[in-house]
Amino acid sequence: MKKAISVLISAAMAISMLAGTAATVSADEAAGQVYYLNFKPEADEAWQNLAKAYTEETGVPVSVVTAASGEYETTLMSEMGKSDAPTLFQVNGPVGLANWKDYCYDLAGSEIAGNLTSDAFELKDGDAVAGIAYVIESYGIIVNKALLEKAGYTLEDITGFDALKEIADDIQARKDEIGVDGAFTCAGMDGSSDWRFKTHLANLPIYYEYQADGIDNTDAIKGSFLDNYKAMFDLYITDSTCDGAELSAKTMDDSRAEFVDGKAVFYQNGSWEYSSLSETYSDDELAMIPIYFGVDDENQGLCTGTENYWCVNNSASEEDIQATLDFINWCVTSETGTTALANDMGFVIPFTTAQESPNLFVKQDGEYTAAGKTPVSWNFTTMPSEEWKNGVGSALTAYAAGTGEWDEVVSAFVDGWAAEAALAA
Amino acid sequence: MKKKTAFLTVFFTFLSIVWIYPIVTILLNSLKDTKSITTKDVFNLPTSATFAGLSNYVESVTGMSFLKSFFFSLLISVTSVLLILLCCSMAAWYVVRVNSTIAKIFYYLCIFSMVVPFQMVMFTLATTADRLKLNTPYNICVIYLGFGAGLAVFMFTGFVKSIPLEIEEAAMIDGCSPLQTYFNVLIPILKPTIISTAILETMWVWNDYLLPTLVLDIKKYRTIPMAIQYFRGSYGTVNMGAMMASIMIDIIPIIIMYLVCQRYIIEGVIAGAVKG
Amino acid sequence: MVGKTIKKYWPIFLLPTAAAFCIGFLWPFLWGIYLSFCQFTTVNKVNFVGFSNYAKILADSTFSHAFWLTVLFAVLSSILINVIAFLIALALTKGIRGTNTFRTVFFMPNLIGGIVLGYIWQTLLNGILMSMGQPLLALSAKNGFWGMIILLCWQQIGYMMIIYIAGLSNVPGDLIEAAMVDGANRLQTLFRIKIPMIMSSVTICTFLTLTNGFKMFDQNLSLTGGDPKKATQLLALNIYDTFYARSGPQWKGIGQAKAVVFFLIVVIIALAQLRVTSSREVQQ
Repeated sequence: MKKAISVLISAAMAISMLAGTAATVSADEAAGQVYYLNFKPEADEAWQNLAKAYTEETGVPVSVVTAASGEYETTLMSEMGKSDAPTLFQVNGPVGLANWKDYCYDLAGSEIAGNLTSDAFELKDGDAVAGIAYVIESYGIIVNKALLEKAGYTLEDITGFDALKEIADDIQARKDEIGVDGAFTCAGMDGSSDWRFKTHLANLPIYYEYQADGIDNTDAIKGSFLDNYKAMFDLYITDSTCDGAELSAKTMDDSRAEFVDGKAVFYQNGSWEYSSLSETYSDDELAMIPIYFGVDDENQGLCTGTENYWCVNNSASEEDIQATLDFINWCVTSETGTTALANDMGFVIPFTTAQESPNLFVKQDGEYTAAGKTPVSWNFTTMPSEEWKNGVGSALTAYAAGTGEWDEVVSAFVDGWAAEAALAA
Repeated sequence: MKKKTAFLTVFFTFLSIVWIYPIVTILLNSLKDTKSITTKDVFNLPTSATFAGLSNYVESVTGMSFLKSFFFSLLISVTSVLLILLCCSMAAWYVVRVNSTIAKIFYYLCIFSMVVPFQMVMFTLATTADRLKLNTPYNICVIYLGFGAGLAVFMFTGFVKSIPLEIEEAAMIDGCSPLQTYFNVLIPILKPTIISTAILETMWVWNDYLLPTLVLDIKKYRTIPMAIQYFRGSYGTVNMGAMMASIMIDIIPIIIMYLVCQRYIIEGVIAGAVKG
Repeated sequence: MVGKTIKKYWPIFLLPTAAAFCIGFLWPFLWGIYLSFCQFTTVNKVNFVGFSNYAKILADSTFSHAFWLTVLFAVLSSILINVIAFLIALALTKGIRGTNTFRTVFFMPNLIGGIVLGYIWQTLLNGILMSMGQPLLALSAKNGFWGMIILLCWQQIGYMMIIYIAGLSNVPGDLIEAAMVDGANRLQTLFRIKIPMIMSSVTICTFLTLTNGFKMFDQNLSLTGGDPKKATQLLALNIYDTFYARSGPQWKGIGQAKAVVFFLIVVIIALAQLRVTSSREVQQ
């Protein structure tokens, strides 16, 4: 008896081992499935719901995985190596595309490409359409209008950088009287928040340099407008709710919480924040103004553009590619999809079938443009690498804390750009 | 002399308090509401204004499917350790008693594998596991068996060598098959080593971060260390309260297990060190 | 006889472990060596490029920085951990009241995983640094480095202490008594008898701490993440970073080549250990 039992145990063990090693190919593969590696953490929940809705409607399984903030590249890299690789992923523009173009399915002639409002939203690799922009966003300085009025100002007073600085300095000086902790929310340099400065704010000196030189890309940035960058960043960290030394540990949550709690008047962020801010504030209490840079303040609009391009993985199976194409097309054309994109995620999508978004900041972008202001385009898609951004971010953090000099930021910005551009070449 | 030991007792009492202070800090912070957990206020005790009760725990358990992570961590640890113990003790017995060329090569490869840092194989191991579909919590134990075989085989062979051959011979003369001999004779003798190895391997598997991160199918599965790392960066925000609570949920079972089987753990460490 | 009987049972006894070993270690290892000579992003598209990955490592200043930092880190942490652990072990073998409780407390951190440890200490150290008016961990390479040392000490002192206690309690009491009778003072018994008698524990602990220091990854990732500007990046994290965080077709090959170099360094340490251990065995 004992012998039989031990033989059984061993046999069971051996079988389970073999069963474990033998490929367990799942049955639902034949119909095709979608695996979306999502870049936007703030939209994770909405994507999960949309995926569920799609599966209920069509029976096609859709998994959405959201990479932790700042770890998209890492996650994409390890996931693309798997046999169950993402069928739908994102690149941030031409620089990101350079690394992944071998994996991008040519979307030319696809249904979704046909629905775009303009060819400009196609990301081209030679003649092939490697990616498609699916959201247009704006960022600037979000203002708590009620607090601004309490301080004795209105939006009209903020006409440019100098005016902004004067008002912010004044608010900072009278912060106890107004009941705030500072003019600006803390410029958190934690990984969840530092992109606001190392990427989004850094876009402005790049934009103006490109404008001045009449180019749209370069291997060697000169840093002609870094003094303006410094002035703006100085404003953020001096007229702030907290001391510069604390910034490295301040997160996006900290910063947002200060704004939501009415502890600060100004908050640099983008239209994607609308859904979380609108839980607390009505549209009348909020406004987004351009990040006045002291260069061409009269004509400067919000920073508007995209760094979100959908790419379909060309090494996925035929069925999966088709399922993915169907899914993204459904997202931007169907009632459910467009509603979710416009309302739940607050996106403005560049497709003919788009619904109007209730997003206040997006509407304001339209108003600025209508008033004849020029939107600042998103040039951070031409930044040479993530590495470069991290270098600038570290230097900014050190500068804010007083452990580093501004020269190091300049060096990370200018020399770092050349070094990273050389590596990519 | 007596005065001196009294002084040492006082000194070590103080040192012990310092030693557990980090954990106490996390515990206290896990009871505060999220907004009060800032760098500046880390050392402030929860006050009536900032006390959040168990709400962080509730949030941590309900949000981000932390309970699932807990289950996966538990499942992976239990299956992997059981598989390692069974297979490696068998292999060790075979290696010592048969002692053929192949057995010897296998043994030396096992020793060699203990030296190799994980970064050396991380990419290829992840790819291999993926190709063979060993990427679920239900069968990742095969990967753990493979990567953890080195230490276990090494510890078991060391012990099997010290068992007199006569015991097994007597059993076989009495008509026991090799499997019966293994289960009825060898396992009882090996018990102390089994416990030591079990503890060393459990500590490794439960706390492992990089291997499951690279190997598991992240669409569906996360272990606790992965979930905690994910808490940090996800959603562009860091929910400090829930994170502190998750840390406590991760270490409380370990501490309980440690207090319960402290003797074995310490013996296991000593046994591991003497052999290693 | 036993050997002969069980030899033909290899499919039950040896095969499962051997097969898993091939999947989980041997094949990935050999493949890894091959890939260190290739350029690749995923394994579907692999080009053989010879030694150029290794040549590029030499030009990578982050690697040499990580290397020297790791050496410094491993040596320093190893010395600190061993000295403190030994002193505690010495005190705890004197039969003072509460020995068991102290032992329990000191060992406990060892059971906590690296990621969690990193976050515990990040919270704590940032709080301390803030109240001292010092730059936080992510800002100062010096603070980050010492933070990692403190963390590793906290984690490993208990483990090493246990080994030293075991070693010390194996020193025969009559030997010490005999020495005392011969007029040896405390320090003399410590240096002439106790330490020589536990040299094997010292060797084990030294190499354990050295290799742990060299291979440290989780704690590094969660405590500092290499900030500021990779100044606190140890070797293992540098390799991971090269592998997964850098995009571009050349980086994976370089990362794999770095891993091979890392592996060779660890092998050298292990061989040194073998040498020291075996040479002492001859003497005894």
